[in-house]
Amino acid sequence: MKMLRSLLPLTLAAAFGVATAAAAPKGGKLNLFGWSEYVPQAVIDGFTAETGVKVNYETYASGEEMLAKLLAGGGSYDLIQPPDYIAEALIKGGLLTPVDQAKLPHFGNLMPEYLNMPHDPEQKFTVPFMVGTVGIVVNTEKVTTPVTSYAELFSAANKNRIVVLDDGRELVTAALYTQGKDLNAMTAENIAGTRPVLAAWFKLIKLFDSDSPKTALLNGDVDLGLVWCGEAAILHNEDKKFRYVLPKEGAHLFIDLLAIPKDARNVDNAHLFIDYLLRPEVSKLVSDEFPYTNPNAAARKLLTPEQLANPASYPVTDRKLDTFRHIGDSGAAIDELITDLKNAN
Amino acid sequence: MQALPAADAENPHARRATPMGWWLLAPMLIWLALFVVAPLLILVVYSFCSRDDLGRVVFDFTWTNYARVFDETYLKILARSVGYAALTTVICVAAGFPAGWYIARRPPAVRDRLLLLVMIPFWTSFLIRTYAWIAILKSEGLLNATLLAARVVPQPLELLYTPVAVVIGLVYAYLPFMILPVYGSAEKLDNALVEAAHDLGAGPLRAFSEVIIPLTWPGIAAGVLLVFVPAIGMFAITDLMGGAKVAMIGNVIQNQVFKARNLPFAAALGVVFTLLFVASYLALQWRGRRARA
Repeated sequence: MKMLRSLLPLTLAAAFGVATAAAAPKGGKLNLFGWSEYVPQAVIDGFTAETGVKVNYETYASGEEMLAKLLAGGGSYDLIQPPDYIAEALIKGGLLTPVDQAKLPHFGNLMPEYLNMPHDPEQKFTVPFMVGTVGIVVNTEKVTTPVTSYAELFSAANKNRIVVLDDGRELVTAALYTQGKDLNAMTAENIAGTRPVLAAWFKLIKLFDSDSPKTALLNGDVDLGLVWCGEAAILHNEDKKFRYVLPKEGAHLFIDLLAIPKDARNVDNAHLFIDYLLRPEVSKLVSDEFPYTNPNAAARKLLTPEQLANPASYPVTDRKLDTFRHIGDSGAAIDELITDLKNAN
Repeated sequence: MQALPAADAENPHARRATPMGWWLLAPMLIWLALFVVAPLLILVVYSFCSRDDLGRVVFDFTWTNYARVFDETYLKILARSVGYAALTTVICVAAGFPAGWYIARRPPAVRDRLLLLVMIPFWTSFLIRTYAWIAILKSEGLLNATLLAARVVPQPLELLYTPVAVVIGLVYAYLPFMILPVYGSAEKLDNALVEAAHDLGAGPLRAFSEVIIPLTWPGIAAGVLLVFVPAIGMFAITDLMGGAKVAMIGNVIQNQVFKARNLPFAAALGVVFTLLFVASYLALQWRGRRARA
C-alpha cells in the first residue's frame, strides 16, 4: 500500500506531463544540426519566442562529421549547415530536399555573388549562411617580419610557433597552392606530390587544432596560425596585435549553407527558420557573435564600421580565392598522407 | 597478473545455476547481448566492407581493410600507443602504490577523507579537468609563472603540446584507477604478516618484496589492467594536450570515422585492437594457471 501511494504522485506527474505536451503551442519542433559555435542562443530563443517552434540544436565540429552522422541516420534532422563541398556531395547523392524560395521572403537580402555557385548551380537546394576564408594570422608583437605567404609562414624561423587547422584537406590545399596547382585537382599524384612540402611544414608546426585554434594564440603558446577567418576576427577584436593575411599564393573560400535533408519531417519549420536567419537584424546577431563574412547585404548595412573594418571578416584583397569541390574518396588518400606525416615526426 | 582468478572448476562453493539464478542474470545477459555482442558483430561485418563515394558502407567482401591495418604506418602507431600506455602504467604504479598503501594504513576516519580526495576530481567533467591542465602547462600558465618567479628556470618551459604533456595527462586521468584497487588489497592485508616477516629477520626491502607485493598483487594487477587498457585507446588527451601531433590508435580510429569517413577501415582497426587484447589476456591467464599448477 505504502509503495502504491508513493507511486501515485509519479503516475500523476506522468499523466500531467502528457497533458502539457499535448497542449504545447502548435509550432511543433525543429531539429537543427549545425556547427558548434555558429548559431547564437539568442537567435534560437528569439525564433522559439516568435513561432513557438522548439529548436533542438545538435552540433558537429567538421563537415565530414556531419556527413557521417547524417548518413548513419542517427537522428532525424530538419535543417543542416553543410559547407559547400559537402552540400555538393549531398546534392549529387540526392540527399537534400529542394528549398522553396517562395517561402523565404527575405531571400533577396543575399548578395548575388554568393548564389548559383558551382556546388549548387541552380540554387535549388541551399541557402548561404556565412562565408569565410582560411588564412594566416600573425601575432605582430612577436613576429616583426611581414608574413604574406605560406612560404613565409612555414619558414625555419617559425619552428614550434605555428598552429594549423587539424584538417588534412586544408593543409594539402595550402601545399598545392605553393606548387601552383589547382586545389580541386586532388589526384593521387598531386596528393603524393605535396608530401615533401608538408613533411617540411610538419617539422615546424607546434599543434593541430580545428576546434579553437585561437586558444593557443591567445595563450601565447604560438605566434602564427593557419586558421578560419572567424577565429582570426575574434583574435583581432580581442587584441589588434593579431593580424589576418590572405596568403599570396591563394586561399580557400568557403560558403557554409543551410539545407534540408531528404528525410526531414518538419520541412515547413525549416523554411521558417531559414527565413528568420535571413532577416537583417537576426543575421546581424550571428555576425556579432561569430564574425565571419556575412553574405546578407541588408545585414551588412546594420554592422558597425569596426565590424566591417575587421580585415579577417571582410578582407580587402586581390588574392586568388577558390572554393572546394566534392572530391569523392580522395579524402582517404589525404588522410593516409597526413597520418603518415604526423607519424614520421 | 597471475593472480587474476581463473574460472575455477574445483571451487567447492560452485553450484549448478538454478532457474532463479538465470532470471537474476538475465538483465546483464540482455545488456551484454545488445551492447557488447551485437556491436561487435556489426564491427566484424563492417570490417570486411568498403565505402562509397560519400562514405556510406557498401556491403561487399574485401580483405583490404585488414591489409591496411598491417601497413607500417599503423603498426608504428599501435606500437607507440602501447609504449605510451606502458609508460603511463609504470608511472601510475610508482605513484599509485605508495598512495593506495598509505591510505589503507590510516585510521578509518582519515582513510575515508583521503579516499574522498581521490574521488573528488570525478565530480568534474573530464574535459574540463583537461582544459585546466592546459591552463597550468601553457607557456604563460600557472606552472611556468611559478617557476619563473622562483627563478628556477630562465625562460618558460615548453610543456604543452609535447609528448611530456600527453604522459602527464594520461597519468593524471588514470592514477585513481591504480590507487583504488591497490587500496582495496592493502586494506585487507593483515599487518601481523608484515610484523611476522620482520620478526623472522626480514629487512624492510625483503618484507616489501616477499610479503607486501605478493599479497597486494591482485590490486596491482587489477590497477594495471584498468590503466593500461583504456590508456591505449585514449584520444582526447592526445588531441587537447598533445596538439594532435602524436597520433595514438584511438585518434586514428576517430579520424577514420569522422574525418576520412572510412567506417570499414575503422572497424578493421577496432577488430584487430580487440583481438590483441583478448590474445594478451588469454596469454596472461594461461601463464597464471601454469604458475599455480
